[in-house]
Amino acid sequence: MKRDHNHLQPNSDPSYSLCGSSSTGKAKLWEEEAAEQDCGMDEDLAVLGYKVKTSDMVEVAQKLEQLDEIMCSVQDDGISHLAFETVHYNPSDMSTYLESMLSELIPPTFDPFGPSGTTAVAAPLTGALDDSFLGTAESSTLTTLDFESNNRKHKKSGKQIFEESSCSDYDLKAIPGKAIYSQSSQTQIHDSSSTSTHNNFKSEKRLKSTSGSHSDIFSPPPPASYGIPTDSIRPVVLVDSQENGIRLVHALMACAEGVQQNNLNLAEALVRQIGFLAISQAGAMRKVATYFAEALARRIYRLYPQNPLDHSLSDVLHIHFYEACPYLKFAHFTANQAILEAFEGKKRVHVIDFSMNQGMQWPALMQALALRAGGPPAFRLTGIGPPSHDNSDHLQEVGWKLAQLAETIHVEFEYRGFVANSLADLDASMLDLRPSEVEAVAVNSVFELHKLLARPGGIDKVFSVVEQMKPEIVTIVEQEANHNGPVFLDRFTESLHYYSTLFDSLEGSASGQDKVMSEVYLGKQICNVVACEGVDRTERHESSTQWRNRLVSAGFSPVHLGSNAFKQAGMLLALFAGGDGYGVEESSGCLMLGWHKRPLITTSAWKAANYSSSPPPLPTEFRRVD
Amino acid sequence: MSCCELGLFFKRFCFKLLRFAFKSSKKGEMAASNEINLNDCKMVVPLNTWVLISNFKLAYNILRRPDGTFNRHLAEFLDRRVPANANPVGGVFSFDFLIDRGTGLLSRVYRPATGEEPQLNIVDLEKPVTADVVPVIIFFHGGSFAHSSANSAIYDHLCRILVGNCKAVVVSVNYRRAPENRYPCAYDDGWTALKWVNSRSWLKSRKDSKVHIYLAGDSSGGNIVHHVALRAVESGIDVLGNILLNPMFGGQERTESEKRLDGKYFVTLRDRDWYWRAFLPEGTDRDHPACNPFGPNGRSLEGIKFPKSLVVVAGLDLIQDWQLAYVEGLKKAGQEVKLLYLEQATIGFYLLPNNDHFHVVMDEISKFVSSDC
Repeated sequence: MKRDHNHLQPNSDPSYSLCGSSSTGKAKLWEEEAAEQDCGMDEDLAVLGYKVKTSDMVEVAQKLEQLDEIMCSVQDDGISHLAFETVHYNPSDMSTYLESMLSELIPPTFDPFGPSGTTAVAAPLTGALDDSFLGTAESSTLTTLDFESNNRKHKKSGKQIFEESSCSDYDLKAIPGKAIYSQSSQTQIHDSSSTSTHNNFKSEKRLKSTSGSHSDIFSPPPPASYGIPTDSIRPVVLVDSQENGIRLVHALMACAEGVQQNNLNLAEALVRQIGFLAISQAGAMRKVATYFAEALARRIYRLYPQNPLDHSLSDVLHIHFYEACPYLKFAHFTANQAILEAFEGKKRVHVIDFSMNQGMQWPALMQALALRAGGPPAFRLTGIGPPSHDNSDHLQEVGWKLAQLAETIHVEFEYRGFVANSLADLDASMLDLRPSEVEAVAVNSVFELHKLLARPGGIDKVFSVVEQMKPEIVTIVEQEANHNGPVFLDRFTESLHYYSTLFDSLEGSASGQDKVMSEVYLGKQICNVVACEGVDRTERHESSTQWRNRLVSAGFSPVHLGSNAFKQAGMLLALFAGGDGYGVEESSGCLMLGWHKRPLITTSAWKAANYSSSPPPLPTEFRRVD
Repeated sequence: MSCCELGLFFKRFCFKLLRFAFKSSKKGEMAASNEINLNDCKMVVPLNTWVLISNFKLAYNILRRPDGTFNRHLAEFLDRRVPANANPVGGVFSFDFLIDRGTGLLSRVYRPATGEEPQLNIVDLEKPVTADVVPVIIFFHGGSFAHSSANSAIYDHLCRILVGNCKAVVVSVNYRRAPENRYPCAYDDGWTALKWVNSRSWLKSRKDSKVHIYLAGDSSGGNIVHHVALRAVESGIDVLGNILLNPMFGGQERTESEKRLDGKYFVTLRDRDWYWRAFLPEGTDRDHPACNPFGPNGRSLEGIKFPKSLVVVAGLDLIQDWQLAYVEGLKKAGQEVKLLYLEQATIGFYLLPNNDHFHVVMDEISKFVSSDC
């Protein structure tokens, strides 16, 4: 029985609506969305992170009782197997989650007293021993360094990395990404094995595309199609705020406000002041403030940054960023985990990478595929990237290196590189796609999709092309931030928070040239967010909620990343992240990497809602006897 | 098929029979003794509360290993979390603060929104409080020292309610957890947070330029409240009051309530023992003063300036005898303490606003922190 205690409920106070403001269209849309999503969900539990329909409550309670009954009748050791052997998915959806726990213990099709009693003996054999039923993580474990021995190395005083059991399910073996790329200059590759049938290597195709133009920086705000209603969550983490730091932030905000109101004289005066204040700061705050000040200055004085960036420089920056901090490693690792699981049982696989760069994501996946139980599939990779200014065939070179790796690990490998100014220039017909029964496709995009939001229709075109590829899985990694709102000041504020947190994380974990280059890498993003507009403003980051809305509208449905990927990602951080502040969180089936609980990047996985792949064949020894 | 796989198969076969038998018995046949407990339990709480707490119980059973280790990865994965939100929702906004880099100690600060602007500027986050007297409640979440975090959804929700209820600023401490971090880590973190709160100029009440501090916590958080208050006594930091919700205390002896209520309302003695073994220094027992502050190894609080206490005890909590003994201990030492005994309440009643106990407790807490004007 609920008593009427309005003043206690956080959202029943009439002067504060759920959205904080009832005056904007944005808030109204949010309310409508919230009402839609409500659809009979128990509100009390929803606030606490659990989605249970009121009409399902009794059934959910019964499942809990059943599980409790089973737990009670099993001695100590029996319960732990639920943790080791099971991969958990999406705990928020309690009904489905509990059902999967129950079926982990019992094959769902088995009924000893059912009509198919005579075949009942055969059926559970199939059920019990089929890999997918057991749900072990073994076949889908991405391999990295041996965790046990590194565990001891990384023990800190007074704090221990929790003891893992001796279960070998999670033995980690090879380092992700580093295998073939050294910091030294790229070596020339001589083609002496072009006749090898194992490494079928096609030359790059160059795509026609329109080049970007420098539009007026103060052009009117982009039409509504660019912006999607934003969710109203703004996570913030503050670190070491000293007096000067606060004044610096005040000055930055005041300057941005000046720009917003087109009061350029004020903005100009403040930008100079910021310069002085920044010098007195230390560490991350100084650097962030400097980059933001520079970006503001560019905006005020209309000194637009050169666009697009010289490709070889951006390559170098990218590699340093990869080395300096765990963000790219996390992105690659979690995406690979999802791809690996989606490719289970497939004999021929094709990865289409929208974010090829130096191909650092793929050695680890190839190694994992090579070690797969039952042998590796034939692996085809299509890498897409922007053109380089010196006309070098950088995509080709990357392909060659991967081909060499494939040779050493005995994986049948095929590669094609595509050069494109924009992903929107891509058409499915260019990719030589094979029937999905023959070849399974994965589409991968790390920090690329947001760039498409700079031109109308870009993202929609890409989504429809992706659907035509009939992928088993689409892995997307994006910044967890809303830097694409219609109001400049909001974008400024959001990005100031975001990059402050990012720089702070670098401060603790990186050093030397890697760190410096990473700061330059991020600095270029800051410049783009603050100083550019229109088609030039490509760093249009949006939150995972916004991306979810876009993807669902475009006909994709989520593929949840589970506890297996979560755990592996956590172990990766323990190995490669310098600072203790990094953490992985799960939310709605996505994995987020954050610094001191501020989520910074999100990996999510998707498939076309109406596409279902052909199931893998049953193991030959256990065919059904009917 | 190996022997091992065969064994596993048969185990699962038996589970299926059990499940089947269980289903049949639900149709009105003789119930197993376990079922009586579940039904009792279901009668005293609303169904969705029962579902919530049972779900936690299930997860927690999986996470605790018999050898005393804890499946931390899975725990972090299963815990439902929410980010801080600088945008006011329901009149409250929040942000995280890194209090101590060395230990990575984070706290989440919750403040009432003034209602002037829908969106806050970052500079507003640490804007000084404006009222004459603003209670600042330092909150320690529960989880038996091993589970949950400051950003767990259940605790984020509770802290937001406290802000509105008490017109207070709430600082929720993300203290280090067992078994990776044993006693006294949680207390050390609580102490660090107390010092930090006490030194924030923007939390000072206008009336006397001091921070008006209250300590609050549930379960292990309640235990932390006591020990941090104790540390504050010697230091000159004024704590105006302690709020302990179903605080976690214990001892070597098996009390009457423990024997009577073992396994009846979500909690077992076995799991209580596990958590103490995980938190207390190795080689010690439950009469360690951290667990049993008024036990054989405890210290007397007589004559010391200890804050007044509000202790909430749930009548269906198996450790209530220890909680009541704590209240007695405070009384005997001449300390001011108010006991709120809720006969029909179970653990976790305060997580959802769907019962009378919740509202009674919120009223009491509100009075408790406003009586120092």
